[in-house]
This record gives sequence, structure tokens and C-alpha cells, in this order.
Amino acid sequence: MSIIKALNITKTYNSTAVPVHALNGIDLEIEKGEFTAIVGPSGCGKTTLLNILGGLDHPTSGEVSLAGTNITTMQDGKLIDFRLRNIGFVFQAYNLIPVLTTQENVEFIMLLQKRPKKERDERALELLTQMGIADKASQRPSQLSGGQQQRVAVARALASKPQFILADEPTANLDSHSTSALLDIMAKMNKEEGATFVFSTHDQRVIDKARRIITLEDGQIISDETR
Amino acid sequence: MLLKLSWKNIWRSKLRSLVVIGSIIMGIWAMIFGNGFMNGFIVSYMANSINHDISHIQVHHPEFKRDQEVKYNVESGIQKAAEIRSWNGVVGATTRTLVTGMISSPRKASGVQIRGIDTENEAEVTRLDSLIGEGTYFEEINRNPIVIGSKLAENLQVGIKSKVVLTFNDVNGTLTQVSGRIAGIIKSSSLSLGESYVFMRQEDLSRQLGIEGNIHEIAILLGPQVDPQTIVDKYKSEFKGDLVETWEEIAPQLAYMQDLYGSMLYVLMGIILTALVFGIINTMLMAVLERMKELGMLMAVGMTRIRVFLMIMIETIYLGVVGAPLGLLLGWATVNYLNHDGVDLTAYSEGLEAFGYDSILYPYVADEVYLIVTIGVFVTAFVGAIYPALKAIRLKPVEALHKI
Repeated sequence: MSIIKALNITKTYNSTAVPVHALNGIDLEIEKGEFTAIVGPSGCGKTTLLNILGGLDHPTSGEVSLAGTNITTMQDGKLIDFRLRNIGFVFQAYNLIPVLTTQENVEFIMLLQKRPKKERDERALELLTQMGIADKASQRPSQLSGGQQQRVAVARALASKPQFILADEPTANLDSHSTSALLDIMAKMNKEEGATFVFSTHDQRVIDKARRIITLEDGQIISDETR
Repeated sequence: MLLKLSWKNIWRSKLRSLVVIGSIIMGIWAMIFGNGFMNGFIVSYMANSINHDISHIQVHHPEFKRDQEVKYNVESGIQKAAEIRSWNGVVGATTRTLVTGMISSPRKASGVQIRGIDTENEAEVTRLDSLIGEGTYFEEINRNPIVIGSKLAENLQVGIKSKVVLTFNDVNGTLTQVSGRIAGIIKSSSLSLGESYVFMRQEDLSRQLGIEGNIHEIAILLGPQVDPQTIVDKYKSEFKGDLVETWEEIAPQLAYMQDLYGSMLYVLMGIILTALVFGIINTMLMAVLERMKELGMLMAVGMTRIRVFLMIMIETIYLGVVGAPLGLLLGWATVNYLNHDGVDLTAYSEGLEAFGYDSILYPYVADEVYLIVTIGVFVTAFVGAIYPALKAIRLKPVEALHKI
């Protein structure tokens, strides 16, 4: 069964005098456990597609089903709860909460889910250990390097064991060493925890690591290649 | 979780939070100090009026207040006063013989109310003896000793032992003149005591009026926390036919003044809290606008809008929680310090005394004012937080995440 199913998705922005068609009839299915990269040049609609798949934005037309639930017409409050329970997000700019420690950031989603403290602590420490930053548990994001911050962001996304993780240009702000380390960790989590990853990227190192590559151009899928 | 996150959030920009907390502290201090200062004026004014002049309750013949004629005396007034003195809650009761007349010195004359007083009981009720600034309390002069206020003495250009003449109509309407000498001069900020009254011994005045053994007024002073109305009710049940009034009925301007000063607290609070609410809106709006991306992230990962709303509200409430106790403490300490030593306003004494105020002011704040001010500040913080919090929850995660 598909974890993500998008049917004939279109997205048009009407904020300017000339409508911008960001997505034109996207049909897409992603299975559980996939490690998929959505690639393409800047402005091709990668981020827009990811936002729609994550329920952060609504398509102009078409339907999106996530884990068997149609989210296209879901009310805002329910959609937030759906995201909380089913989707992990990794953002390009890490977007950690600066006033919380590394461990508190990792625990944050579980805290919103009202998981018991013991479970939160164990899971956060387990992930931080897997990410190789357990020694940074009590440090604030400002005390970490970019690569370390993005690892914390990945740990936060994985912490509640979501159905899938959407990562928007996760390596865009990282150097090659950090990129490589992060990709290794995500691949490991994909293998060991069965976590489903969907990236938007134009970073060749990420593309090389992905097992499925969906290429967008002008808001349309021009190729869908599985290795 | 929200409590912890909100607490940490307010210390992101320490300077900004401290400015708001400082505003809250100063706002509360200003409200308490301002109220204490105003109370100092009103308490001093009312204490002067009640304790040295009108007392808590007065009894007259029902017709006396309308016509002020000598014949309208309180029946068996001296005996009634003696009985009232034994009642619970009554500190003292004194009798007075009253007549409107004129006092003349060799240089000037002035219209006054001449008060024939029971010197011993008058001292119990109005502590008139304690107000003597010059001379004595009806001593050292054998025949018709007179006590007047300093302002009147100044107007008449008289001093101790100066001779003055009192002119008034007796009970038969016959114009009567009585000469006497100034035994004492009262030093008081009260306008009535300063220039409107002339005090004589009751027996001297009653004899001249031809109403020996009769009086026109009983003045009753009550203990603290005694409701005047209970004594009025008791009087009415014990004695019939007299007009019994509380100080609020005798001097409605005093009661009005008390209400006016009470409402001034709310005016002061309104001004200060309005300024504060704009400060809070400004600060919290800045706090929201500078972390729009983070708020977008929070909503993206599953933080509900109500939680975001509450987080902003709690952050604002925290500013109040930190600032309010400090402001209350500072206000309380200031008022208590000044209440102990008094605020010396002698530089303005002439102007103050012209309005019946003392030149040493003792600020005082009622306990409930601290509560009212605290509630006011928290309501203000709450109101001030609403707009920024609404602004936060109106954010669309997808747009907020891409804010720079």
C-alpha cells in the first residue's frame, strides 16, 4: 500500500497579474520504506510538491492521500494533528527551537504527542546516539555546527516514528563532510528503522544516495527512476 | 511544556523583556504611590474634618438646621450625651450651644459661629485642646475666655489676652453683646476651625443666650471600624424626635470627596495601564514578528494554533508575573516608608492649608488596592497579548517557513 498517493495535483499561484502554474498534473505514489529524491532545477516545483505532500499547502486541484487518508479537504485543525501523528519534517534551515537543548528539541514532537517522559528520554537519547551527537544533548542549537543541527532536526523528525519524513533541501546549507555524514545517517535510519524519506534536492550527493529519483521540470514529472 | 517553553522564550531578548518588566514595575509603583499620595490628602482632610470638627454623628432639634434659631434645642441634651458616652463603640459625646454672630476687635469684625462647648468633653471628642498653638485651653482668663483660630486672629489682628466683643441675638431675639479675652489660638489646617468658629465655655454662652441647661448639638465620636449607622439606629430607638445624622449626611461634600478620590485610582490606573498595554503589544508583536519562521515550523510539525496562542499569552503573563510582585513590593515599601516619616510639604503649606490640607502628608494605601492593581496589570497583560497572539496564529506555516 502506498504511504503517499497524489492524483493529478496542480498548483497555481495567483498572487501576480500572471498566474504561475507551479505544478501541472502530478501523479505520484510512494511506498513505505522508500528513500526518494525529488530533483529538478530551481523553480521546477519541488518545494511546492513537498509542501502539498506534507499537508502544509493545498493543491489547486487534485487529491492527496497520506497513509490511506485523503487530506485534501481536511480541516486545518485536523490537518495539524494529522501532521503531528504521521509526518516528520526536516527543513533546509534546520529550524530548531533555539531556547531548547538538543535533547529537548528531539523530544519536542513527542511532547506535543503527550508521550510519557521515560519514553521521550529513551527515544531522544537513542536517536542522538545513532546520530553521533549524544554528547551534545544538553547543548543549545547555537552551540552546534550546521551539520550537527541538521542531525538534530533529523532526529526530531524521526523521534515519533512517523509514517514518512519529508526533507526540503536538507543538505543545502551543509559542507560536503556534513552532507555525507547526514546522508549516511538517514540511509541507516531508512534501513534500520524502515523510515520512509522523501527529499527535495538538487544536491548530486543526495541524488546519488537515493534509491528512487523523481525528476520535475516546469511543474511536471519528466522521469521517475528506481535504482 | 508550554509553561517551560514560554518562560525560556521571554529570555530570548533579555533587554526587551527587562524593559517591559521595568515598565510594569514602574507602572504598578506609580499607581500605588499615586493612590497613596491621594489617600494621604483625603485621609488627612477627612480626619481633620471628622476628628476635629463635625465628628461621626450629630444630633439637633429637627428645626435647628433649617432656621438655626436659639430656641430649637435638643431636649434633655446634656443627659442624653451622658448616656451616649456609655454606649459601646462611642469614644466620646459632647454638647454644644450654637449661635451665629459677629466677633469684633478694635480694628476689625468678622461673621462667625459662636460655639459654647463643654470643655472637658469637647477635648474628648474633637481634641480641641491639642490644637491650641498659642495660649491656653480656656485657662488664665477668668471672665469669658475665648478660643479662636489663627486665621481669624490674624484677620482681627488680635493675640492672646486681646479683648474682643461678641454680638448675637439671645433666645428672645434681643441683640446681646458679650466681651471676652482671647485665651487660646487654634493652629489647624481646617478652614472652619481656622476662621469660622469662636469657642466659649458652654455656661458662659448659655447664660448670655438665656437658655441655661439647654444645648443645640450633640457631637458623637466613634471608635475605628464602628459603623455610624448602627449608633444612629440605637439613638433613634432610645430617644425620639431628634434629627440624628452621620457625617456623610452632615457634610455630603466629604463623602463625595471620598468617592471622588476613590475613583481617581481608576483614572490613574486607566492612564497608566493604557500606556502599558501599548508597550506590551509593541514588545510582543516584535517577539512574534522576529520568530515567524519558528512559529511556522511549530505549526508545521503539529503544534496546534490554540497552543501557539496560549504560548504567546503565557509569555506575556510571565512578564506580569515577574514585574507585578516587584512593582507591588516597591510601591508598598515606598508608601510605608513615607507613611512612617510623612512627606514634608511645608514649602507649599500656605496653599495646602488654604484648602484645609495638612502640610505633612502621610501616604496610605488600602490592602484591596494592591489586589485591584495586580488584577489591573494582569488584565492589561492579557489584553496586550491578544493581538500579537492572534497575529501568530494567523500565520500560514508554508508562508512563515519561508520568511527571512
